Formats: sequence, structure tokens, C-alpha cells
Amino acid sequence: MTGPLGMAALVAAPPWYPLHFAPASNLVEFLPELVVAAGMVAVLVTDLFVGPTHRRRLPLLTGLTLLAALLIAVGEWVGHVPGRPVFDGAFAADRFGLFADFLILLVALAVTALSPAYLQRRGLESGEYYVLLLAAVTGMMVLSGATSLIVVFLGIELLSIPLYVLCALNRDDALGQEAAIKYLLLGGFASAFLVYGMALVYGETGATQLGRIHQVLLHGSLAGRTDPMLLAGIALIGVGLSFKVSAAPFHWWTPDVYQGAPVLVTTFMSVATKVAAFAAFLRIFSVTFGTAQSDWAVPVALVAIASMVFGNVVALGQRSLKRMLAYSGIAQAGYVLIGVAVGQPDGTAASLYYLAAYAAMNTGAFGILTALSGRGEDCDDYEGILGLARRQPLLAALMALFLLSLAGFPLTAGFFGKLFLFSAAIHDGEVPLAVWGVLTSAVSLFYYLRVILTMFTEPGGAGEPVQVAGMTFEGGAVARAQLALVRPALGTRALLTLFAAATLVLGLFPALVDSLIQGIHVVAG
Amino acid sequence: MSVHLFPGFIGLSAAMFAVGAVGVLLRRNPLVVFMAIELMLNAANLALVTYGRFTHTMDGQVFAIVVITVAASEVVVGLALITGVFRRGRRLDLDDLSELRR
Repeated sequence: MTGPLGMAALVAAPPWYPLHFAPASNLVEFLPELVVAAGMVAVLVTDLFVGPTHRRRLPLLTGLTLLAALLIAVGEWVGHVPGRPVFDGAFAADRFGLFADFLILLVALAVTALSPAYLQRRGLESGEYYVLLLAAVTGMMVLSGATSLIVVFLGIELLSIPLYVLCALNRDDALGQEAAIKYLLLGGFASAFLVYGMALVYGETGATQLGRIHQVLLHGSLAGRTDPMLLAGIALIGVGLSFKVSAAPFHWWTPDVYQGAPVLVTTFMSVATKVAAFAAFLRIFSVTFGTAQSDWAVPVALVAIASMVFGNVVALGQRSLKRMLAYSGIAQAGYVLIGVAVGQPDGTAASLYYLAAYAAMNTGAFGILTALSGRGEDCDDYEGILGLARRQPLLAALMALFLLSLAGFPLTAGFFGKLFLFSAAIHDGEVPLAVWGVLTSAVSLFYYLRVILTMFTEPGGAGEPVQVAGMTFEGGAVARAQLALVRPALGTRALLTLFAAATLVLGLFPALVDSLIQGIHVVAG
Repeated sequence: MSVHLFPGFIGLSAAMFAVGAVGVLLRRNPLVVFMAIELMLNAANLALVTYGRFTHTMDGQVFAIVVITVAASEVVVGLALITGVFRRGRRLDLDDLSELRR
């Protein structure tokens, strides 16, 4: 070869050149992500050229995009597209990633359906919202199928950057802006840890594809010995991913961001981000670093216990519904981490089941807050939901179901989710994890039941304070907070009922979803 | 760059990473915190390129370019958010951003 850009290099890549140009057939595996990305561009362009009257078609376009991606993903699952890695081992459309895609797309569809009414009430209608939503969904789907460190990083940033902006959607709301800055700075901080960890792992193994890293750890020079640089890299990647799933002690941003962001955005990011980040967590730790499990299982278990204890205990003292659900989300992340600590194959399956349950019940709980939020501010105070059972019995009943499921009550999704996780931990000999899980679930029952009690307690008249589970409500404040709440439309109530049905199905017929999960084979890349 | 310089480059990158991490934790000006994060990302870039050279693979350089690109887009969003928050004449101090904790 004569020059760095000689013709020979274009015709046939020299042997040291690691990139093989992807054949077009690779695009089939990548089609759901491509559809969402194309939909994002379509929404962006449509928003530019249509007037404000046609702008209300944007949610429809967004919904159709998500639906198309969902159908293609289902087709790939049914048609059993081989989960082989494409793009030189950078991405795999295996059933593991597709399962996460289903959850992400279903949650995104629900959020899109909730969006127009909420945005209109809050005066936040804009085309950018749908563009950013689809961008974040693209990032999440890329992350769930990523089988290369580079693509994992790309996916995490592609989902995070739109979310930073979405938090600040309401430009007149100082709290939303504050939440966005906190999320941005702490998110960037965590990304730096993640990239540095990836650099160390790459340096020790000489590869960025998870499959090749796995092979090096299995058969290469690193097999069977503990390498300090590699362990440091694994630890830093663990810190970065723990941040994204908001596990303690890397959770500082969660309560502030969940409270400050518009509750619609919180609904989306509390569930979909967690599903995508856990998909990457499970793939990287349980599969790629599976051979080093004895080194990282204990730290991951400690993070799980810390999240369960911290999240559940601090949630007890919250006077904001969004903040309470944020701490509950930290605790839920701890439960899913049990599955990561247990490892393949039981732990992974249990984690996936719990993520499905979490997608149903947490979207439902936050979705109800979204549907109730009125013109002035989000439904965030216990005052507002005092006596909700009398005024809106359906929503109160659904909220009670979602909260009982989050607590792990029998007959609900959360019960089997926790049962599978705890039994996987016991089978693996990690009894302390199961014990901590049961103990903290008992604690969590208190603050979930407090919300339910509040909804089912009648408010007193003016100047007549009401006591509920250690909280005192003044009559006047209650009246003001309740006036702010709205009665959601029939479609919204039907949607929330669907999520309640999903919560019940996952709690009554666990075999339906579990049989799907049992057929999942995680591709390392 | 020859192989015997390898520990030096990795040491430099580790030092940059540490300086950046301390900067994020100690500084209160959001712009300086942002710069400290960029320093951490660039420390990772230096490590990636060094390892790429050391392991005779291109992945490190490709990764570094991806990190630079992503960091640039993060800066765009970040600066827009920071100006958005502080355009009403608020002090550029992260400690003032504490209305959410109650």
C-alpha cells in the first residue's frame, strides 16, 4: 500500500483493519431501532412544516411509529430471527434484547397516549417533546441489544441526553430546570466512570465486543486469574450502570429528578430507562463477565441490599408522592439487582420477570398521577388524593392495586416477581439477599398502605384536620389541592385499566410470561 | 510512542481522571463542574487510545472518536440547560439549586 488512502485499501481491507463493512442483511436485525429513528426524523420534519392545528397529529405519528417497531420486534421474536450478533459483533437482536424492547415500546406507547391531554393542560404542547421521546426510545432499544462496549456507551448517551432535555420541558418551572441540571451533571459524571471502566476492560482484553471479551476471559491469558486492572474496569462499569438504574449509593439524583421533572416524563424514564439499563447490566455482568462472577457477586449483592434498605426506609418519611415513588424505585432497583447478583440463568430470568412486572405496576402508578395532574401543577401532594376513593373510585382502586403490587402483595405481579427473585437467591445459596428482600418488602408495605389509606379516608370540612397514618391534613389545604385534580377522559381510564389487567395477569398466571422468558438465550456478542 | 512510555500515558490518564473527579465533587460552579466532567471523559479517551496502540487494535481510537462526538452533543445540551436556569440572574452556584429537597 503506497499511501494511507491508497486504492488498495478501498478494494480489500488489509488484515489489520478490524472493521468489516456490514452486509445489508444486518439491517433486518436492526429494523425496529431504525423504524423508531426514522419516525423521530419524520416527527421532527412534520413539526417543522405543519401549522399548530395539525400539530395534534404528532402523537398519532409517534404512536404509529412505536406500534410499527413493536410489530416488527414481535415478528422477529416469532420468526425467530437468529440472535447472532451483527455489525461485527456490535449488536444482537436476540430474544433477551427483544423482550426488553417489548417492555420499552409498550411503556412508550402508554406514555404517548397519556401525553396530549397532559401536555395540553400544562401548556407544554410542542413537537420537540415527541422527537425527544422517540430519540430516547431509540437509545433504549440500542442499549438493550448492544453487544459491544462502544454501542453500550452510545445507547446510554442516546437515551440520557433527550431525557435531560425532557426534564426541563417546562421552561418556566424552576424545579424542572433544577432537576435537569442535576441529572445532566450527575449523569455526565457517571458516564465518565462508565467510559473509563470500559477503557480498562478494553485495555486488558484487547476487544470491545462483549463476545470477544467473554472469550478472552474464558480461554485467553486472563482465564482463571484475577487481574486488578480488569477488576477496576468491571467496578467502574458497575458504578456507571448502577447510576443509570438508580441503585444506592449511586441514587442521589433520583428523588430530585423524579420530583422536578413533569410527571409524564417521570413515568417514562422511571420505567423505560430502568428496563434498558438493566438489560445492559444483565448482559454485561451475568454473561460477559460471568466467569469473574465470584469477584463481582458480593459487591453487586451489597449494592442490592443498600438499595432495598435505603430506598424503603427513606420512602417512609416522604410527603411528596413523586418523591415517595422515586425512593420506591430505588428499592425496586435493589430487588432486580438480586437477579444480577445470582447470575445466569435463574437470576436473569427472575430479573426479566420482575422488570415486566415493574413495567406494568410502576407505569400504572405514575400514569395515574399523570392522569390526575391538573392545570397548575402535578398531582404530588397527599392532600390531593385524600378521599379520592369517593370522587374517583376507579382510579383509587387501580392506584391501590398498583401500590399493593409494588409492595409484593399476593395475586399481583409484584408478588411473583419477588417470589422468583428470592427463590433464585435461595437456590443459589445467597439466603441473606432473600432475607433482606423480605424484610424490606415488609417495611415498604407501610408507605404504600399509607397512600391507600389516604385515598380511602374522607376529608373533613374547613378547619377540621384529618389524621391518616401519622399525617395531619388541614381542611383548607385539602380543598385547594383537590380542586387542582382533573377527571381523566374515558380513554385514559381504559388505558390505566389495561395496565391494571396486566398487573393482575402477571400475578395470577405467571406461567404466561415466564414461559416466554424461559426460552430466552442471552447472546454475549 | 513506544511501549516503554505506556505506563506513563496510563498514569497521566489516571491522574487526569482523578483531578476531574475531585473537581466535580468540590467545585460549585456548574460550568467548572461541566469542564471537570469533560476532563474525566478525555482521561478515558487518552486511556482508550493508549490501549489501542498497545494492543494493536483500532477499537480504542474508534471508541475515542465516539466519546468525543457524544461529549460534544452533551455540551450543547448542557450549556443550553445551564443558560436556561441561570438566565434570570441567578448566581452560578450549584448550592443555590436546592429547592427540590424538602
